[in-house]
Amino acid sequence: MTHEAAHAADHHEDHRPSLYDWKRWVYSTNHKDIGTMYLVFAIIAGLIGGALSGFIRWELAEPGVQVFTEGSMLANMLGMDSNHSYNVAVTMHGLIMIFFMVMPAMIGGFGNWFVPLMIGAPDMAFPRMNNISFWLLPASFTLAVLSMIVPGNGDWPGFGGGWTLYAPLSTSPAHHGGPSMDLLILSLHIAGASSILAPSISSPRSSTCSAGHDAPPHAAVRVVDSSHRVAARSLAAGSRRRADDAADRSQLRNAILRAGWRRRSGDVPALVLVLRSPRSVHPHLAGLRHDLADRVDVLSQARLRLSRHGLRHGCDRRDRLVVWAHHMYTVGMGLDLEAYFIAATMVIAVPTGIKIFSWIATMWGGSLDFKVPMLWAIGFIFLFTVGGVTGVVLSNSGVDTALHDTYYVVAHFHYVLSLGAVFAIFAGFYYWIPKMSGYRYNGFLGGLHFWLMFVGVNIVFFPQHFLGLQGMPRRYIDYPEAFAFWNHWSSIGYLITVAGVAVFLIMLVEMFLVRRKAGANPWGEGATTLEWTLSSPPPFHQFNELPVIKPDTHH
Amino acid sequence: MAHGDVKHDYHLVNPSPWPFVASIGALIAAIGAVVLMRGISSNEADFFFGKGHWTLFAVGMGILVITCIGWWGDVIKESRQGDHTPVVDIGLRYGMILFIASEVMFFVAWFWMFFELAIFHGHRADWIVPTWDAATTSAWANWPPPHVETFDPFHLPLMNTLILLLSGTTVTWAHHALQTGDRNGARNGLILTVLLGILFSYIQFGVEYPEAGFAFGNQGDVTNANVYGSSFFMATGFHGFHVVIGTIFLAVCLLRVLAGQMTPQKHFGLEAAAWYWHFVDVVWLFLFTFVYVMPYLTMQN
Amino acid sequence: MKRGAWIASIAAGAMSFAGAAHATLLQGQPTPQGMHLQPAATDIMRDIISFHDFLLWIIVAISLFVAALLVWVMVRYNRHVNPTPKKFTHNMLVEVIWTVVPVLILVVIAWRSFPLIYEQERIPEAELTLKVTGNSWFWNFEYPDAGVTISANPLSEEDARAQGRPYLLATTEPLLVPLDTTVRVLVTSNDVIHAFAVPAFGVKEDAIQGRVNETWFNVDTPGTYYGQCSELCGVNHAYMPIEIRAVSRAEFDAWIAERGGTFASAEPAATTPPAEGATTPATEQPAAAPTSPSR
Ligand code: HEA
Ligand code: HEA
Ligand code: CUA
Ligand SMILES: [Cu+2]
Repeated sequence: MTHEAAHAADHHEDHRPSLYDWKRWVYSTNHKDIGTMYLVFAIIAGLIGGALSGFIRWELAEPGVQVFTEGSMLANMLGMDSNHSYNVAVTMHGLIMIFFMVMPAMIGGFGNWFVPLMIGAPDMAFPRMNNISFWLLPASFTLAVLSMIVPGNGDWPGFGGGWTLYAPLSTSPAHHGGPSMDLLILSLHIAGASSILAPSISSPRSSTCSAGHDAPPHAAVRVVDSSHRVAARSLAAGSRRRADDAADRSQLRNAILRAGWRRRSGDVPALVLVLRSPRSVHPHLAGLRHDLADRVDVLSQARLRLSRHGLRHGCDRRDRLVVWAHHMYTVGMGLDLEAYFIAATMVIAVPTGIKIFSWIATMWGGSLDFKVPMLWAIGFIFLFTVGGVTGVVLSNSGVDTALHDTYYVVAHFHYVLSLGAVFAIFAGFYYWIPKMSGYRYNGFLGGLHFWLMFVGVNIVFFPQHFLGLQGMPRRYIDYPEAFAFWNHWSSIGYLITVAGVAVFLIMLVEMFLVRRKAGANPWGEGATTLEWTLSSPPPFHQFNELPVIKPDTHH
Repeated sequence: MAHGDVKHDYHLVNPSPWPFVASIGALIAAIGAVVLMRGISSNEADFFFGKGHWTLFAVGMGILVITCIGWWGDVIKESRQGDHTPVVDIGLRYGMILFIASEVMFFVAWFWMFFELAIFHGHRADWIVPTWDAATTSAWANWPPPHVETFDPFHLPLMNTLILLLSGTTVTWAHHALQTGDRNGARNGLILTVLLGILFSYIQFGVEYPEAGFAFGNQGDVTNANVYGSSFFMATGFHGFHVVIGTIFLAVCLLRVLAGQMTPQKHFGLEAAAWYWHFVDVVWLFLFTFVYVMPYLTMQN
Repeated sequence: MKRGAWIASIAAGAMSFAGAAHATLLQGQPTPQGMHLQPAATDIMRDIISFHDFLLWIIVAISLFVAALLVWVMVRYNRHVNPTPKKFTHNMLVEVIWTVVPVLILVVIAWRSFPLIYEQERIPEAELTLKVTGNSWFWNFEYPDAGVTISANPLSEEDARAQGRPYLLATTEPLLVPLDTTVRVLVTSNDVIHAFAVPAFGVKEDAIQGRVNETWFNVDTPGTYYGQCSELCGVNHAYMPIEIRAVSRAEFDAWIAERGGTFASAEPAATTPPAEGATTPATEQPAAAPTSPSR
C-alpha cells in the first residue's frame, strides 16, 4: 500500500526523496513534495522562457531579420522561420515566464514548502487539492506547448497575438484561424483553475497562532492573499470568459470592451505577483539580521498592523483590480477615466514605498551578514524600486502617450519582474535550499551567480529605457538602424545573464554532488521562524506534536 | 490513521491517484474540446483529431467523471473512518465558504458585463463609425437592442423563480428533519428538492431557451442584438449549469441519506449542498430582477 | 553633508548628460545612441518632454535615496561594524514620514499631470480634419474636406538606401500637413487594432475597428516626422511606418491640388463628423488573408 510506503518513510530521521518512487510524487499529498515539484517545474519553465528570450535578443542584436527567417539556425532547428514565429516567441516567453515560472515558484513552491512549516502545521488542509493544483500545471503547459506546434496563422504554427491576447487579432480568422489560440486559451483556463484551487489549501493551524497577529509575515500574507486571490482569480476567469464568449462571439464591433476585459483578466495574474516577491524576500531579511530574538520585527509589525486594517494588501490587490486601464490610456477613453486611472495607479506607490522602507528599517541597526540570499534580497529592493518608479512615470497618461507600447514599458516591467520577482525568487531559493535539500550551497558559486545576473540583466534592460524614449515600439522583429546601438548592448547583456543562469545550474549540481550537510539551522540565531527548529530536510511529516507559540510580547 | 505518535487531530491524507488522473482528464478533455469545435487535424475524417469528433472530449470527460466518483468516494470513506475530526471539519467548512465566494466573484463578472452593456449603450453609440447605416446606429443606441424580443419575465421566468424558492424551503426542511433525527422527512425533502431542480432545468433549457426571441452568437448584421443574446445566455446559462451541479450534489446526499450515512450530528455533505443550493437560488433572484425584469420594463421598442 | 553633495552631483551629472544628449538629437526620427525623447515639433510634445524631465528628476532622486539607504545599511550595520544588533520594533515618526512624504510627492506629480491630459484631450477648434485608417499592414490617410486619400506602404530597403531615407520609417507616399494649423485627427481601423503614433508630435492613438478615436496636433517646425504602428497587429506589425512632412500652407495646397482635391469652403466642418457614405476605400473590406511577410 502506498500508505505503508509513506509511513515507512516517516521513520527515516533524515528523509531523502527517492527519484525512482514515482508514486511518491505523482500521488503525493505531502506539502513538501508538492512544493519540490513546483520548484522543479518552475526551473524548467524558467529555462524554456529564458531560451525564448534568447531567441528574441538574438534576433534584435542587429537590424534586419537574421534569426526568424528561412534557412537560419533557429528555423532549421525549431522551424521558427517567419515574422509570425517571432510574435509566437514573444507571446510564449511572456506567458511562460509569468504563469509557469514566477507564479509556480512563489505561490506553489515556497508557499507550499514553508507556510505549514512556519505556522507549525503538519500539512495543508486539503492535500489532494494541493496536488491537483500542481498537476494541472503540467497539463496546462502541455496545452501551451501544443499551441506552439499546431497551425495558428494560416500554415504558420503558434499563437502570435501577444501575451495579452487582445481580440480581434486573437480571434480573427484572418490572423489566427487555426486551433492554436483555442489550445492556448484553454491552457490559461486550466492554469487559472490551478491557481483558484491553490488558495483553498490554506493550512490548518493550532489555536495558539491566529494568522494576522503573531504569524510570521510570510504566512500571514499568504492567508490574506489567498482570500484576495480567490476574488481576483475568479473575477479574472469570468472576465476572460466574457471576453471570449460573449464579446468576441457576438462580433461586438467595439473592440475596446474586449480589450478592457482582456486587460482586467490579464492584469490580475501579472499583478498578483507583486505581493509574492516581498513574501519571499522578507523572511531572510529578518532571518539574516541576527538580531531580533522574537520573530516580530519592524516589518512584520508595519505590515501586520496594516493588514489588520485591510490596508496593506488592500492597497495592493484591490487597487490592482481597479487600475487595469492604465494599460490602455491610448484607446481614447476620455479625460475623466484617464484622470481616475492616473490617480488610482499612483496611489499604489504609497503602500509599496512603505514596504520598501520597512525592509530597509528591518536591516537598520542590524548586524548584517552578506551571505548569498542577502545579496539577492538587497538587489531585489533596489531593482524593484527602479522598476517601480518608472511605473509611476507610465501611470501619468500624458507621458504614457509618448511611452506606451515602446521599450520603456518593456524596461519597466522587466525591472519589476525579471529583476524584481526573479531576484526575490533566487533570494528565497538560496535562503531555503539548505532546509529543503539538507545541503549547503557553494557560497562562491552563489555569489558569482548573483553578480553575473545583476550585471547582466541591468545591461539587458537599462538601455531599453533609452530605446523607449527614442520611440522604439514593442513587439517588433525589425527596427530602423538608429536603434541598433542600444539593442546591441541589450543582447550582450543577455549573454552575461545566461552565463549567470548557467552558474546557477552548476551550483545546483555541485551542491547535490558534494553534499555538505546543512544542519537544522545554518543561519544562526537570526533565523527564528519555526522551519529552522526542524531537521534539514524536515521529516516527511513534521510537527506530530504541535509547537506552542508564546504570546507576542512586543505590543 | 496509523501514526501512533501523532498528537494532533489534523488529517494527514494518504497518497491519492485522483489529482493526477483528474489533470490527465482535464488535458484530454481540453484537447478534445478544441478538436470538437475547431479541429486540430486538417483531415476532417480523422477519428481523434478531425473537426467535430467527440472521441477525445468524451474520453476526457469520462476520466473526470470517474475521478469525481473516486475522489469524493474516498472523502466519504475517510469521513466514515472518523478522519474528519472537529478541526478538520472546520477546514472543510472554510473550504466550502471560499469556494462559494469564488463562485460569487465568477457571477459578479457576468453581471458586470451585463450592466456595462445595459448602462453605457448610449455612450457606445457615440463612439461608432459615423459612416454606419442608421439601423446599425440605432441598434447601438438602444437597450435592449431592436430585434431583441425579451422574455416576458412574469411567465416562465416567474414560475422558475417560484420553483427555486420552493426548492430552497424543501432543502431547509430536509436539513432540519435530519438534525432532529427525522430520516423520512430528510428523505422526502431531498426527493422534492431534486425533483424541483430537475423541473427548473427542464423549463429553462427545454422550454424557455428554444423560444428565445434573440440568439446566442452572430446574427446577421445587427450587432448589438448579439451582445444582448451573448450576455443573456452566458449569465443564465452558467446559472443553469450550476443548478445542474447542485441537483447532482443533492442527489448524492439523498443516496447517502437512504444508505443511512447521514446522522443528526454529522452531515456536512448535506449542509454544503444546502449552502450551495441557496447560493444558486440567490444568484437566480439577481438574474430574475436585473436580466429578466429590468430590461423588460425599460424596453423601448 | 559630503554624501549629500556627492549624490547631488551624480544626479546633476546624469541630468546634464541626458540634457546634452537631447540637444544633439535628430528631429522627427530616432538618433543613433539617443537616450531621450525625440525633439518636439508641437507644444504638446514640448510639455510632455518638460513633464517627463520633471518626473525624471524625481525618480532619479528616489532611486538614489533608496540606494543610499541601502549602502548606508551595508556599510554601517554589517556584522563587523555592528556586532550587537539593536532590538527596536517601532518608530512611529519614521512610519508616518515614509507614508506622508510619498503622498506629497504624488500630489505634486498629479498637479502637473492633470493639466497635461486636459491639454491633450480638449481638442481645440480645428482648421483641418485628417482621417487615419489602419489596415493590415499599411495606412490610409484622408483629408475628407478636400477629398484626397492616399495609402502609405513602407519603402523597400533598396529604395530607402538609394534615396538616403531611413528604412522602416520612410513610406512610399509621405503625408503632408500644413504648418501652424490645428489638425484634428480621426483614427480608425479596417481590421485589427493598430495605433497611429508620431513621437515628435506627442501623438499616439489606437486605431480600432468600428470606432473613431480623436486626437490632434499643431506642428510648428517644418521637417519630416516619422512614426511607427504602435499596437501589435500581426505578422507585419513592424512594417507599417508613418511619414509626415510639415510644410507651408502654400506647399500643402499645391500638394492637395496635385491630387485633385479642393477645399469646398474656407471654413471646414470642424465640429461635425466627416460626411456619411465614407469615401474611404475598402471600409468593409475583410482583413486580407495574410500573405508572406514582406521580408
Ligand atoms: C510584478 C509586476 C509589476 C509590478 C509590481 C508593477 C508595478 C507598477 N506598474 Fe507596471 N507593468 C507590469 C508589471 C508590473 N508593474 C507589466 C507586465 C506591464 C506590461 C504589460 C504589457 O503590456 O505587456 C506593466 C505596465 C505598466 C503600465 C502600462 C504602460 C503602457 O503599456 O503604456 C503602467 C502605467 O501606469 C504601469 C504602472 C505601474 C505602477 C505605477 C506600478 C507601481 O506598483 C510601482 C510602485 C513602486 C514604486 C513607486 C517604488 C517604491 C516606492 C518608493 C521608494 C516610495 C516613493 C515613491 C514615490 C513617491 C513615487 N505598469
Ligand atoms: C517574469 C517575467 C519575465 C522574465 C523573467 C523575463 C526575462 C527576460 N525577458 Fe521578457 N517579457 C516578459 C516577461 C518576462 N521576461 C513579458 C510579460 C513580455 C511581454 C510579452 C509580449 O509582448 O507579449 C516580455 C517581453 C520581452 C521582450 C520584448 C519583445 C518584444 O516586444 O518584441 C524582450 C526583449 O528583449 C524580453 C527579453 C527578456 C530577457 C533577455 C530576459 C532575461 O532576463 C531572461 C534570463 C532568464 C531568467 C532570468 C530566468 C531564470 C530563472 C530560472 C531558471 C528559474 C529559477 C526558478 C527557481 C529558482 C525556482 N522580454
Ligand atoms: Cu499595425 Cu501594428
Ligand atoms: Cu497594470
